[in-house]
Amino acid sequence: MTQSRVDSYLIANSKYFESHQVAYLRDKLTSMEDEKFDLVLAVQLREPSFTVMISLAGGSMGMDRFYLGQTGLGVAKLLTAGGCGIWTIVDWFTAQSNARKVNMENLQRIVG
Amino acid sequence: MELQEMQDRVREQDDREKAANAYVMSLVALMAGLPLPIVNLLATFIFFMANRKSSYFVRWHCTQALLSQFFVFILNTISFQWTIRIMFGDLKFSNEYFGYICVVILVNISEIVGTLISAVKVRKGKESNWWLFAPLTNVLVRKDN
Repeated sequence: MTQSRVDSYLIANSKYFESHQVAYLRDKLTSMEDEKFDLVLAVQLREPSFTVMISLAGGSMGMDRFYLGQTGLGVAKLLTAGGCGIWTIVDWFTAQSNARKVNMENLQRIVG
Repeated sequence: MELQEMQDRVREQDDREKAANAYVMSLVALMAGLPLPIVNLLATFIFFMANRKSSYFVRWHCTQALLSQFFVFILNTISFQWTIRIMFGDLKFSNEYFGYICVVILVNISEIVGTLISAVKVRKGKESNWWLFAPLTNVLVRKDN
């Protein structure tokens, strides 16, 4: 992929990934074929700060996990009332990195 | 090589935030879980498990936070049970009870203050080694992995 395309993608989306992953992502995207760029753009990236807000508001109902696409964990969190509140508290502090992790996993399915 | 160095520095910033979160989270759990002493221990344990594959720095501070919480948990559980037995059981108030409660309160206050100081120090990238717990953590956390 052309460097300018990769750069513009990363400028717009670097906040969705762990900062130390950006250099790795740049390498991967640069070495990728141009045809795959549409697929990369189609990947739905979860907003880390929005995940924290959902976690604060509806964490005890597992809404943050549902938002991240982790339905199993979401149901578990819902049924246990956020792990009796304990899981909810832990997720307040891990929600951002969880969202970034999910984004990276989703993108890696295409980038390889 | 320069790129690698830059990546390491950026990773260090992420790690500092995660490690500081271990301390801050234990404080929030302590406040949310009162008067039950197990809540903050469980929360710190879950946080530790969530970060078990992180870097050495993060794992080290999660373990230190967990060990300190475990120590406080034992003291708090004894005082909790003692109080319950006085209120609903066969025991009566005694000088030993008041002495123990004073010690527990002092330990809890110093633990909270220590946790706050550690959270700030770790966020700035400074070392924060606790008496007794830091050497134990060194034994428990391995650098490889």
